[in-house]
Amino acid sequence: MDPASFRDPSGFVYRRDGILYRQVQPSAADDWEAFTSGGLYRALVADRLIVEHADAPLDAAALPGAVGVIRPRAIETISYPYEWCFSQLKEAALLTLELQSRALDAGMRLKDASAYNIQLDAGRPILIDSLSFERADATEPWPAYRQFCEHFLAPLALIAHRDARCGLMLRDFIDGIPLDFAARLLPGRTRFNLGLSAHLHLHARAQRRAAHDPAPPEGSTRPARKISETGQRALLDSLRRTVAGLRWEPESHWAGYAGATSYSEAGTASKGEIVREMLATIGGATAWDVGANTGAYSALAADAGYRVVAWDQDAASVEAHWRRVRGDGNPAILPLICDLANPSPAIGWGLEERASLFDRGQPDVILALALVHHLAIGNNVPLPGVAGLFARMAPRAIVEFVPKEDPMTRRLLAARRDIFEGYSIEGFREAFGGPYRIIRETPVTDSPRTLFLLERR
Amino acid sequence: MPLLAYIDPGSGSMLLQVLLAGVLAVPFFFRRMISDGWHRIRGDRTVVKPSEGGEDATTDR
Repeated sequence: MDPASFRDPSGFVYRRDGILYRQVQPSAADDWEAFTSGGLYRALVADRLIVEHADAPLDAAALPGAVGVIRPRAIETISYPYEWCFSQLKEAALLTLELQSRALDAGMRLKDASAYNIQLDAGRPILIDSLSFERADATEPWPAYRQFCEHFLAPLALIAHRDARCGLMLRDFIDGIPLDFAARLLPGRTRFNLGLSAHLHLHARAQRRAAHDPAPPEGSTRPARKISETGQRALLDSLRRTVAGLRWEPESHWAGYAGATSYSEAGTASKGEIVREMLATIGGATAWDVGANTGAYSALAADAGYRVVAWDQDAASVEAHWRRVRGDGNPAILPLICDLANPSPAIGWGLEERASLFDRGQPDVILALALVHHLAIGNNVPLPGVAGLFARMAPRAIVEFVPKEDPMTRRLLAARRDIFEGYSIEGFREAFGGPYRIIRETPVTDSPRTLFLLERR
Repeated sequence: MPLLAYIDPGSGSMLLQVLLAGVLAVPFFFRRMISDGWHRIRGDRTVVKPSEGGEDATTDR
């Protein structure tokens, strides 16, 4: 069973012989029937809002008692909300609200609003939890309202009104940002924003007050509260307006970095040509561009037929990159936030709920262009350590060595003692020659830099 | 039947929804009426569904 699939008793996900299955349990039988036969599933698939599935025979079930087994299309790269830039999280939030709205139209509702139920697939967010819908009376309050605010609204508001790095807090808060915490961190002026004032500040207060409510008598639950159907729609509309109204513009040193490199025009052309040739030599299908910045070389790899995940630690660069490739911009590229010096760890229950960066598959090749000097000098990682990490990530690598005489490296060393005696092209060859065979080594024209094509031993 | 969810909906969150639904329903109702009326005057064949959020359903998606 997938270790992330234990929370909802209506079913679970598992793999057998590499194939992804989802088993539907008896408690969800009627909701599942209503969702798949009532037209909602087909309509959502037609609009690419939910991942499609094929029916599988009941004897493919992992445990006895299944009322249904399906084979959902597997998403190639699983990513998590703490790896998403502002717009990715915002688009996932708006998709969640759209799904709830469409469910209400069909006499159903989303029973949860977890950001982990959404994945980024070919330039768009998509729901991957086929068991998220249940039949519902539109006069009942939405049980997932709180979860929506914690998983989406709170981090989006913090990014928009405080700092883009607040998105990383989702790594610590797997169930979303607690609303009282978000309310404390947000600037006071957000109280004058009607939506944020209601759904975050007032919401946090309501939670605080309810925490002091006495427990209901044994064997009873709190009485159901009703709202009007118009009220239900109004609430959803208010959430949508609040989310849509949140804005964040990417401005950072790194987002403008591509235009500020030390390369001459001839150098850029030469580097592009060498990378293109190396990618063609490998002939792979998937690439991770690590330290991708705004994606100049991710685009080059995508042009060469690769499906690319473009990692960068800078939220502004990833935001700028996503805005360019999302939708039909370039569906082969998925930009994500990750600092290779401190990559996404495994988190959650038993440290198994959300996989670490290295436990989410391996690409055919990693591109590490203009990155090694940041790791070796910026982060003090010895070159053999850098080589070892790269070799762990993929069987092949295209790595750019940036020597000490390069202006970008000189800048890194400007205000510090040079303790990096082994940082030279000879040191690079020796360090990377451990885990790798050096297939090709090509100097870049009009530049002190060298590109290496490496294959794991 | 009382509402029972598999995630904790939070009693404060449920209570707040009752309050907000009451307050927000009035402007929402009128906005929708105006929007529907506007579409009818312009002779649009399809009146915008509430799920499309009325006249300003624009998002970044």
